[in-house]
Amino acid sequence: MTSTTHCVAPEEIMAFLDGELSAVAAQTVSAHLKDCAQCAMVAEQFRATSQMLSGWDIEAAPAALEDSVGRLAAKAAARRAVVKSRSAGFSRSGGFRGRRLPVIGAVAVVALLVVVVFFPFSRQSAPRRELVLADKPIAGYVQPQQSAERMRGPAVTPYSRSSRALAGVANGSIGALSEDQLEASSMPAPMIARAASLTIRVKDVEASRSSLDSILARHHGYPAQLNVNSPENGPRGFQASLRIPEAEMVSAVGEIKGLGRLENESQSGEDVTRQHADLAARLKTARETEERFRAILQQRTGKLSDVLEVERSIARVRGEIEGMEAEQKALEHRVDFASVEIQLNEEYKAQLGSPADSVSTRIYNAFVAGYRNATETLLGFLLFFEEYGPSLVIWLVVLALPIFLVWRQYRRVRSVADF
Amino acid sequence: MPETKSDASGSANSDEPQTVASDEQLMVAFSRGSSDAFGELFSRYKQPMFGFFRRRLRDPAQAEELTQETFLAVLRASSHYEPSATFRTYLYAIGFNILRAHRRKAAFRAMFHGTEDREPSARNTMDSDVWLREAVNRLERIDREILLLREFEQLSYAEIAELLRLPLNTVRSRLFRARTALRDLLAAPAHKASPKDFTEYEERV
Repeated sequence: MTSTTHCVAPEEIMAFLDGELSAVAAQTVSAHLKDCAQCAMVAEQFRATSQMLSGWDIEAAPAALEDSVGRLAAKAAARRAVVKSRSAGFSRSGGFRGRRLPVIGAVAVVALLVVVVFFPFSRQSAPRRELVLADKPIAGYVQPQQSAERMRGPAVTPYSRSSRALAGVANGSIGALSEDQLEASSMPAPMIARAASLTIRVKDVEASRSSLDSILARHHGYPAQLNVNSPENGPRGFQASLRIPEAEMVSAVGEIKGLGRLENESQSGEDVTRQHADLAARLKTARETEERFRAILQQRTGKLSDVLEVERSIARVRGEIEGMEAEQKALEHRVDFASVEIQLNEEYKAQLGSPADSVSTRIYNAFVAGYRNATETLLGFLLFFEEYGPSLVIWLVVLALPIFLVWRQYRRVRSVADF
Repeated sequence: MPETKSDASGSANSDEPQTVASDEQLMVAFSRGSSDAFGELFSRYKQPMFGFFRRRLRDPAQAEELTQETFLAVLRASSHYEPSATFRTYLYAIGFNILRAHRRKAAFRAMFHGTEDREPSARNTMDSDVWLREAVNRLERIDREILLLREFEQLSYAEIAELLRLPLNTVRSRLFRARTALRDLLAAPAHKASPKDFTEYEERV
């Protein structure tokens, strides 16, 4: 079989025995085998090897196998029958099984769409309608002083009353304090500076803004800051910082929430009672000091330099008093007027007829932007590798060895497993 | 050579009358809902399939499990069956894939949990089997697989080439090499299989 000079290669003989030769080649080999004893022996050796291998007997397949596969087949047949009876509308038996997943998926997607499209509207529409009905044209924003005055009428809260009492301690002279004011000052009610922040998605910023104006007018509030942002091809945005009388804050915030879909809300209350009491006490001391200096100035005589020194001290104390008074007022204002930050985001609808730049400009701009992006990207890569390259190299070195070992093991195991 | 094989005699191309349905016809019938057709196919192929796994695996229980898995795969895939190749090739292709997956799993388990300690299965192993196993074991891995597919599963060179994703000529030359080597190994019975060699082989498969 090792002969290589023979006219028929042993491999050909093997292929012949396996029936893998073409008819013509098989005929040639067959004829050669009759003539050539050596090749006939090779063929005989092949046959003998196969014969020996055929002695490798395998025990009969276990009976349990038949049972288990029979059970599986019966189960499959039953399932098939169920599917077939269910899928009467489908062209092929078992068709429904294959299509069930897409059908369920499609139903789920439609259901999701329905929820996404209709649910926000159903939540949004009721308060909006109410707002439109309540909408009234407004002449202008109410001034803070006016609103404060109005607020101190019937809508006075315990907090604001106490704050006024404290203010009385600070402003009036000590001797003029009434008994109940003294009581209030000795047991100060909590003063809370409240703040709220709302982010709302609305359909139309303009309409929402006018609704907001009317809400402010009704609740005697005023805007401290307004910022409207309307880009050409994008949703408009509106930010405002509102001041609303503390007593009406809850109802006003409730109405503002009705403008659209609330995306974010946060409320906070800062307790400034102690701060205010400290300020009042410091103010009182400062006023007493001022009084004493004035008394010194009036009653005592002395050198001009002494007089000037006292004058300077009076001026300094006066400055301190005014600063503290301003601070106290601001604090009270924060308590009386809650601060409400609003951000209105519009649902953007692209405008079909919006004027676009000319084609050449756009091509040029796109080119410039593309060039800039490309250079930025390259620069970004460069900077990234400069910044993190050394650490990456360290990590690579640290991790390379275990990764290599695992990979080598994986390759070995795979190659062994494959055959 | 093929004509000497006994455990593949259940296939349709054996000396059964022509009225008997071919494997492919049975499979088509089964894919249309005839469970009798599957029963017939199973009875034809349970022993060849069990033999296929048994010759390649030490544990008869595993061979049984994989045989069952193969028929389960046939059950599952029956609706997609296209009679493009012979059913026999189709079945062995499924079996080979399942065997390969099993070997990978076993190899990975061995990789992470160390060598598995299993009982050597001396129960059904006869001396001649050990000798033949040992001789076959000494062949190169790919050569061994080609030889087994040819000798026992009786796949044609082209079918083996397709299954192992090898060129046809490679299959032929490797088969030649395997047979020559096996002849030499079997001709030297002085070297009896030592239990150690046998265990090593079993660990590898």
